[in-house]
This record gives sequence, structure tokens and C-alpha cells, in this order.
Amino acid sequence: MPLPLTILGLESSCDDTGAAVLRRDGDRAVILSNVVASQTDLHAAFGGVVPEIAARAHAEKLDIMVEQALAEAGVTLPEIDAVAVTAGPGLIGGVLSGVMAAKGLAMGLGKPLLGVNHLAGHALTPVLTDGMRFPYLMLLVSGGHCQFLRVDGPQEFRRLGGTIDDAPGEAFDKVARLLGLPQPGGPEVERAAKSGDPARFDLPRPLMDRPGCDLSFSGLKTAVLRARDDLVAAQGGLSEQDRADLCAGFQAAVADVLAGKSARALEGQGALTGFAVAGGVAANATFRARLDAVAAAAGLPFVAPPLALCTDNAAMIAFAGLLLHEVGQRDDLTLSARPRWPLDTAAAPLIGSGKKGAKA
Amino acid sequence: MGKGQAERLMPLIAEVIADGGRTLEDLDAIGVGIGPGNFTGIRISVSAARGLALALGIPAVGVSMLEARALDTPHPSLVSVDARRDHLYLQRFGPGADLGPDLVAMNAVAAWACPGLSVTGDRAEEIAAVLGATPMPCPDNPTPAIARLAAARFRDPALPRPAPLYLRAADAAPARDGGPMILPR
Repeated sequence: MPLPLTILGLESSCDDTGAAVLRRDGDRAVILSNVVASQTDLHAAFGGVVPEIAARAHAEKLDIMVEQALAEAGVTLPEIDAVAVTAGPGLIGGVLSGVMAAKGLAMGLGKPLLGVNHLAGHALTPVLTDGMRFPYLMLLVSGGHCQFLRVDGPQEFRRLGGTIDDAPGEAFDKVARLLGLPQPGGPEVERAAKSGDPARFDLPRPLMDRPGCDLSFSGLKTAVLRARDDLVAAQGGLSEQDRADLCAGFQAAVADVLAGKSARALEGQGALTGFAVAGGVAANATFRARLDAVAAAAGLPFVAPPLALCTDNAAMIAFAGLLLHEVGQRDDLTLSARPRWPLDTAAAPLIGSGKKGAKA
Repeated sequence: MGKGQAERLMPLIAEVIADGGRTLEDLDAIGVGIGPGNFTGIRISVSAARGLALALGIPAVGVSMLEARALDTPHPSLVSVDARRDHLYLQRFGPGADLGPDLVAMNAVAAWACPGLSVTGDRAEEIAAVLGATPMPCPDNPTPAIARLAAARFRDPALPRPAPLYLRAADAAPARDGGPMILPR
């Protein structure tokens, strides 16, 4: 049985500053606290996350969130056995602030430092929340990422496919902006879609005609823009119904692509224990229902962690750090923050494949 | 040092403490440079200092580069830090002469003149010539001055947590596309 161990986790790779305390208790890992400060309001006026604004906010928030997480957990710093931190991939200013805060904590406490890949944090969450066993298929779908990962162990990931341009969450934000809806776009578009007719506009299902599990959402967003502009040219603006129909059509197209590619990703994988989803876009009820059906058709359980553990959080980083600790990983105080850090280094790069290598 | 600060900082702290014949547990406070300067660099120092201070249960004290450079100059003194693009970060120190800190274009430094002024820091000779002031050298390494100022301040019960001193807004423009007109029913 694994030794009892208490891990402090830090996350600051995008626009959420998170800290969490997690304890290994026999075969289980228990989240003692998991606090997140969102920067949504700071970025609202800019129609997207501004890296410099995000970095500034993280640098002045991380230690405060750590204090809050410790207080909620009823744990004191000397009881922490290791400090786990997101070391990439992500917006480098925020990742750097997190890594430096974690180094300060680890050095001051004299405890090990664990650099965690943010994507591994998401990908391993079903093990934490549902006791899922390896190997399983994970669809990571968020504002910054979209990829299918076959997870064979805490450090064994194989990327089966992913987006070649935008992430779906990013596309939702852009569509919301095109249609005059507030940010973040995911929940706004989903709400508007409820009263819309998904069949009114003929929107594309990008890459469905190609083999493999790669996805694309950039063209879909442009198709929504064209449809909007046609309506504006014809009638001087959009009616609420036009907007609802566009939202419903866009959401249906994304759902078809995610479901279709998921079915394809599950083919030929041999014995899997299940199909799991993570990332903020997994909050969309339509997508959850479609992905659940895909898993059922493949005879597999569908696992969607609770929303607070699907979106960016530090508990997943603490948990991934715990698993790394248990296989003997230790980082020293020269740990680097990495804007690019693909989980599967063997897979061909999808995005950012210039001389700096793949992004994620 | 340009790249590699994040990798080098903690080992450097360990070396400096060992050279001083002390251990981390001997520290009463941590002084940290908060800029102004390279945004990433000052976030590296401030984030690390705040984490270390939390772990050791001691205060971290933010000290600006302008304050550090002013420490051993005769007052009134004008201190400058290069802000690139022909701009400077300026602060004036002295009884009745306190002004700034602020981001100032090189061609607008004349407004910072005052009687008996000494000027220290980046481009001090040029600034002093414009103002009719006396240029003064400043030490290359500001960390002893940061530590001395931290020593003078760390017992202040109202001490704020150190925060980067940016003096320049984040480079970001509000979204342009406000969305289409929504027609009434």
C-alpha cells in the first residue's frame, strides 16, 4: 500500500490561479482543499485572455491562494511532503510565476519539487475522481486544447489526434463575440442554442471526410461569420432567433465532429477501461450526452469528472504530482517553465511545429 | 543576465547564504527587487520571494530599483532606470523634493529639475546635462542596498506583500468587433 503523503499543488497556466492540498490515504487520494481564483473579469473587455494581464494577476495571487488552500484543508506547511506545480504547457508568464512560487516554497520547506505537465493533470483526473484504471481514452477539450490521448499510465500517453488549429473553447469564445454575446462564450452560446434550430444553417463538419482523429474548428467559426454577415447585409442586423439558430447550428456541428472523431479514436484500441472527457468544454450538456452515447456504442463506461475538476484546477496538478512522486520523480530548483510541452513527444506536431517544436 | 534567470535564481540564493555562513532558517526577512524593469524578470524575483517567505514564515519586503539606487546618493537626487524606446523610469528623492516614480520620455526630463540635484542611474550624464545637475555613479549591484532597505522596513506591521512595480500598462487593446445589431422583435 502506498505511503501516506500530502501534496501541495499550484496551477497558473492560463487565466485561473489555483492551489490545492491532496492526501494519499491508502489506495485513494483525497482532495483536502481545491481553491481557484478566476481572472475572467480582468480579461472580459479584451475578448480573450491577455497574456501579460494574466501573468500580472498570477504573480500577486499565488501565495494568497496557497494560504487559502492550507487553511481550508486544515493543514500546516510543515505537513506538506512535496510541492507540485504546472511547469507547462501554457502562457509562459503565468507558468513562470507558478514555478517560481513553488520553488520558493519547496526551498523554504526543504521538500521535493515536482514539475507537472498541465495536460497530464487533466488526463489523469479520471483516476482521481472515479478510480479509473489504465488504459483508457481521454478527450481533452478546453479553451486552449483539444486532443485524444490514450492513457496507459501516469507517464504513458499516446496522442491519437488533435486540433490542427483552434481549440473548441476558443471557437466558442469567438462565435460568442461574432454574435454579440458576452465572454466566456461557452455557456452563453450553449444557453442561446437551447431556443435555436440546429438545422437552419448548413455549417460544415471540418475534417470528417478525412481519416484519422485530427480536428479543425477554425473554418467552422468562419462559416458562422459568413452566415452572420449575410443576415446583417439582408436585414441590417440579427434577430434573437437568428442568433439562437446560429448558436444551435454551431454547437451541433462541433458536437458531430467531437462525437464522430471520438468514435473513430475508440476504434482499434483493443481493451480499454473507458472513455473519459476533461477540460472546460466538457461542461457542455449536449457534448456530454453525445460522448456518453459514443462510449455506450463502444460498450465502454463514460467518465466526466465534476466540472470543478474538469476546468483548470490545482487538485489535478497535485494528483499528477503525487503519481510522479510515487514513481520516484524529483525536480531540482533549476526546473524550467515550458510554454511548449507535448505529452506525447513521439506524435507528429499538430500546432506550432516550427523550430521550437510542438506546442502541446 | 537575459535568459536563464528562472533556472539560476534559487541555486544563487543557496550559494549566497552559504557564502555568508548562514542557513535559510537564520533569515529574518527577504528583500526583493520589484523593478521597474523587465516584466518577466521582476515576476520571477517577486514570485520566488513570496513563496520562500511563506514557507519560512518571515516577511518579504519589496524594494524598487529606484529606491536602491537612491540609497547612497546625496539628496535631492534623481534616479533613473532605462525603460527602452528612449524612455526612462524616474523618481526624485529628498526632503520636499519627492516625485514619481513615473515613466518619462527622454525629451521630457527637463520637468524633473530642482535646485542642488544629483542624478544617478542609467543615462545619468545625459540627464544631468539637460537639468544642469551633478551626475553621480551608482553601484552595479543593487542587492546590498535592497537588503539594507529591507532590514530597515521589515518590522513595519503594515508592510504590503511585494508586488512588481511595472509603471507601464499591459499591452492590450479592447476587442474591436462589438458584434452585430440585434433587431427588435
